[in-house]
Amino acid sequence: MTVPDEVQAVLDGWSPRGRKIFKELMEDASSELQQELVQRAMLAGHTTGEVHAFADELRGLSDDECFAACTLDDDAPEDYTVTQLLRAESDPLFAFELKGGTLTPNEEDDAPSAALPMQRREVMEAPIARELAADPVRRAKEQRAGFNAESGGFRPMVVSKPAALAVAAVAPSGAMPAMPAPAGRLFEDLLGEATRALGVSWREVELDVPGGVPIDQALQQAASALQRGIPIPCVIGNAQGRPLRYLLVLQTSTSGTNRAFQLYEPFSQELVWANEKDLLSRGELPFDNKSLRRLLRMALPNARGL
Amino acid sequence: MAAARPQASAPFVNRELNGEQLLDELSELRNAQIAQKHLEDLARALHELEGRRVAEAVIQLKQLASNRFAGQPAIASLLVRWSTRLKSEVDVGLLVGHLERLALVSALLGAFRRGADRLPKGGRA
Repeated sequence: MTVPDEVQAVLDGWSPRGRKIFKELMEDASSELQQELVQRAMLAGHTTGEVHAFADELRGLSDDECFAACTLDDDAPEDYTVTQLLRAESDPLFAFELKGGTLTPNEEDDAPSAALPMQRREVMEAPIARELAADPVRRAKEQRAGFNAESGGFRPMVVSKPAALAVAAVAPSGAMPAMPAPAGRLFEDLLGEATRALGVSWREVELDVPGGVPIDQALQQAASALQRGIPIPCVIGNAQGRPLRYLLVLQTSTSGTNRAFQLYEPFSQELVWANEKDLLSRGELPFDNKSLRRLLRMALPNARGL
Repeated sequence: MAAARPQASAPFVNRELNGEQLLDELSELRNAQIAQKHLEDLARALHELEGRRVAEAVIQLKQLASNRFAGQPAIASLLVRWSTRLKSEVDVGLLVGHLERLALVSALLGAFRRGADRLPKGGRA
């Protein structure tokens, strides 16, 4: 897609990974208004992680809700400072937080934003910093966990110990987890957010582990959901606790007493059929990459209310 | 004598309808830069088709293509293409299911992309 020159100028200062994320955020944005708001947040000098988190928050909102969440209208409380009001005009992410919206950083910031917007931000931040003590809105924001639009850059979330352990299990050694998952869950929150508008919520289960769900039961429930038209997201890997890829079970087919599941691995774009008996016996998955051996986790739908 | 149960027509009994064909359609829509919001709108709009007779469903699909999705030619083209394949009432329900599944798969693949960094090497290991 083509973007305005000023957006492209900022984008040029981002890392290749940041540029890729931005492209995906533009593709996933629900409307042109959302694209515009994300671009404005980017131009205001926010980091990749902040822009990503902001885009995630907007995605589940209608255009009217987005507009309301990111603009200070005529009924703005009088205790907003002039500087805040002016900044909110040009920075929708700042306005979003000023109005009580919360963001969870979900990207490791691997590159600073472009120099020009950062300079502009510094100029705008000075007066706000002086007013901090007297500004109740800002004071309340400062006490909140996570990061806010005023921060100079990425501030890691405080992760509880179980959550930190869960993240450590799936993150490359030595690397900071980019998108902290809730404790014991790897992708349930992402799926729920993605399909909220379609009326589907999810319950992530670990397969064949103590406290998890036996794979035969999980496949039974998956087959039932697939018959109702709901694809089943999974995580595959080479051993329990070593997830490698996401996978989508697209459909099921039964012939006599045999049932097969069609599996789609989006990274390699392989689409294969796997016999249920092979899945139950924990035989190798039929992908070219033989390290993708097992189904480790599965997300089962809770309800459908489209 | 009981009336013969209506059968689904050939395009709807194709085993790859919700597999390879669905992914091809999704790729086509993605190349046309169709936003997820439009697919969700499509899924919601198609609910009105359920239980309709074939002739009514065809008219409604074409109306959706020429009105609501006129600004998204890739979706409009998909709707018109499918409208010509409807032959029985069973097909209508299967088409609604297919296009709803398309919206769901698209949403889930988007979630995978956003969650890639939760996996070692960004899910490329």
